[in-house]
Amino acid sequence: MSDNTKLVNHNDNEIHITSYVEHFGTWISLILLTFMTVFISVFGADLNTLTVATALFIASIKALVVAYYFMHLKYDPKIYRVMIIVVMALFLFFLLMLVVDYLTR
Amino acid sequence: MEHSFVLPNSGHNYDAKASKLGMWLFLYTELLLFGGLFIVYMVYRSLNPDAFLIASFNLNVWMGTINTVVLLTSSMTIAMSITAVQLGNSKLSLQLLLLTVLAAVVFLVIKYFEWGAKIEHGLWPGMDHFISLSHGEQLYFFLYFFMTGLHGLHVIVGMIFIIVVMNKIKKGSINKDKNQLLENSGLYWHLVDLIWIYLFPLFYLIH
Amino acid sequence: MTDSSMSQPSYLNIKKGLFSWIFTLDHKRIGLLYLYSVGAFFLVGAALGVLMRLELLNPGGDLIEAQTYNQVFTLHGVIMIFLFIIPSIPAVFGNFFLPIMLGTDDVAFPRLNLMSWWLYVIGALFALSTLVFGDGPADTGWTFYAPYSVKTGTNVSMSVLAAFILGFSSILTGLNFIVTIHRLRAPGMGFNQMPLFSWALYATSWIQLLATPIIGITLLMIVAERMLGIGLFDPSIGGDPILYQHLFWIYSHPAVYIMALPAMGIVSEIIPTFAQRTIFGYKAIAYSSMAIAFVGYFVWGHHMFTSGMSGPAAYIFSILTFFVAIPTSIKVFNWLATMYKGSISIEVPLLYAVGFIFNFLIGGLTGLVNGALAADVHLHDTYFVVGHFHYVMFGGTGFAFFGALHYWFPKIWGKMYNKLVANVAFAIIFIGFNTLYFPMLILGIMGMPRRYYDYLPEFHSLNQISTYGSWILVSGLLLMIYNLIRGYFNGTKTTDNPWNGITLEWQTKSPPPLHNFDKAPELVKGGPYNYPNAIDGSH
Repeated sequence: MSDNTKLVNHNDNEIHITSYVEHFGTWISLILLTFMTVFISVFGADLNTLTVATALFIASIKALVVAYYFMHLKYDPKIYRVMIIVVMALFLFFLLMLVVDYLTR
Repeated sequence: MEHSFVLPNSGHNYDAKASKLGMWLFLYTELLLFGGLFIVYMVYRSLNPDAFLIASFNLNVWMGTINTVVLLTSSMTIAMSITAVQLGNSKLSLQLLLLTVLAAVVFLVIKYFEWGAKIEHGLWPGMDHFISLSHGEQLYFFLYFFMTGLHGLHVIVGMIFIIVVMNKIKKGSINKDKNQLLENSGLYWHLVDLIWIYLFPLFYLIH
Repeated sequence: MTDSSMSQPSYLNIKKGLFSWIFTLDHKRIGLLYLYSVGAFFLVGAALGVLMRLELLNPGGDLIEAQTYNQVFTLHGVIMIFLFIIPSIPAVFGNFFLPIMLGTDDVAFPRLNLMSWWLYVIGALFALSTLVFGDGPADTGWTFYAPYSVKTGTNVSMSVLAAFILGFSSILTGLNFIVTIHRLRAPGMGFNQMPLFSWALYATSWIQLLATPIIGITLLMIVAERMLGIGLFDPSIGGDPILYQHLFWIYSHPAVYIMALPAMGIVSEIIPTFAQRTIFGYKAIAYSSMAIAFVGYFVWGHHMFTSGMSGPAAYIFSILTFFVAIPTSIKVFNWLATMYKGSISIEVPLLYAVGFIFNFLIGGLTGLVNGALAADVHLHDTYFVVGHFHYVMFGGTGFAFFGALHYWFPKIWGKMYNKLVANVAFAIIFIGFNTLYFPMLILGIMGMPRRYYDYLPEFHSLNQISTYGSWILVSGLLLMIYNLIRGYFNGTKTTDNPWNGITLEWQTKSPPPLHNFDKAPELVKGGPYNYPNAIDGSH
């Protein structure tokens, strides 16, 4: 619970300001990833079922980059990262149980 | 009548961190709202893999790619506008937000033409062409309209949010010291982007 | 009110007029707005329940027809679940007491709080509008199971939209509470110095926040399917109805804990106060609330054992279901251990709390019977299930709600009801409740299915007992309500702390001033329940 108490402390003076350059670098990496995923899908063709897996894998990396840098999670108190992990884990569990049901039916 | 004593932890104080936490909690609900749709997508895709594949050829990958780039760019401009306000440069911040709103408009215009083309081909649920499709393809197009439609609604809400924030920056009520509302609009906008990051491969890139 | 002697005006008489209530930002007034609204809907829902019991007094459709009966039990379910029990304790007592117990003057987002009440009202109007518009109220049961909900001619779309809006209201309340707990605790009050009611609300709020969106989107899909006929959930055109059940219960099972956890929080407040003793196992109770909330997400499949879900999935859900019993029984042991060797004063709130434990125990244990795969195949959709969840929801949460009402009544209005009448009312309610619902458990084991207006002759006598029970219960409820209303108008003035409680709400005036505290509240050293005069300090 030490993370929660951290939230309460009013240490408002230490605001982290992300630089323009860092935002631009984030953007570049996102664009590169986008072209990569389009390229794999349109020209890489014969990955069969792996196409979806690769596309989702790249999408997840992009999502992480957006959350971590644009949404500032990297510089936020740890509790924010813990909470989003719990939320995503919960959602993945929903998916998992549905997969179990549909695969074994 | 006058109440002189105010608690240090009053709920009526301006509290940037409370506001930020509240925004994040709201984003979780948004994630799970779309999460329900992703669940439905996953189930029906795994039950009808071929139909989804065939149906996806109706989508224009390049329009989708352009829209992805547009949204990613707008995410950068709004993130930069936060930096600008924090550095005290309200003017630059306003310009960057204007770019963000323009990007949102471009996104919606492209979306409009995409939807328009589909509807012209009779692919809207209930139309002639739609009815002649297999059930799997029907589900694909239903989910396509439902999910991108809901996403488009979020783009519109995000635009309105950003325009409200721009007004507040003009009036000076969002400034160097007090800018959580701008940051919240940024968080919301990034979420719109995040959801698109998943919608794009799931609908356009399943070749 | 006649409290002119007080130095600070109380929240009740600082402003007058309707608009000072329905547009108030004060969390206490919003709590009372919720109290009046959920109270009104409770009476409507209860009336519908009595109507159903009356129809079931004798076999055959002698009072209402099959179709009407279907609509009545649907409306009863929708009203009781979405309009009464989900908002009941969190939105009424949570709103009123969470900020006071944390030692602050309001929730984190007062305007959002008001908005969530308005959304509640709008959602309620949507739900009621089905009585007037369209082809009558939905007849699907509160679960809106596809494919029937997609095909029936009744006004399902409107009911479903009502549930969507009410879900939004519930999300906003939860969001508000989480931020309030994180940001607005009194200086020096860590998470582990919070009253247990706040812990229960914290766990509840996370469920409201993370489960409700899923049902929101699912219900929208029902509306879309009704309008467009795509075959999302309708098997006759290729849809999968089991997927609907999955999505529905991913929300609706955690929602059971939205209903139960705040009630457990109430009991955890009442028992230490009337035992005048430190709560036994503070951390165990606090963390078991979180554990229940967490595990509660993983067990939704136990509503679907007979639906055609796969065997392995059913085993997993069944095992996980048994895990929920662990944190729940931890709480029960702790409550009992708290009372052990305490100096107990048997007042009305304590009676309701003990009534809660008794009923909840029956409700919980019958829940385990349902959670066992083999037993469930026999018991699914019988009156056993109806009895089980009424024991949990009404015998549990309902009793805790009434207990909270009696516990905090003097704090909210600064007056006291007639204790003797309240005791009598409790006794009648308790007897009536058990007479009404216990026969249902037996009927279910005998094989009587739920949701029918008619039944076979061999179920007659038990159904009669059950209906007599409903009459006893209703007379007890009416007596209780009469007594509280009389207390509101003519009750004797009370002191600020009539029960000798030590959580922060007892440090302020009764009724509290607008900003809750005239001076900074003092935290009790050594935890929120460290009673100075406890007979046995060691535990």
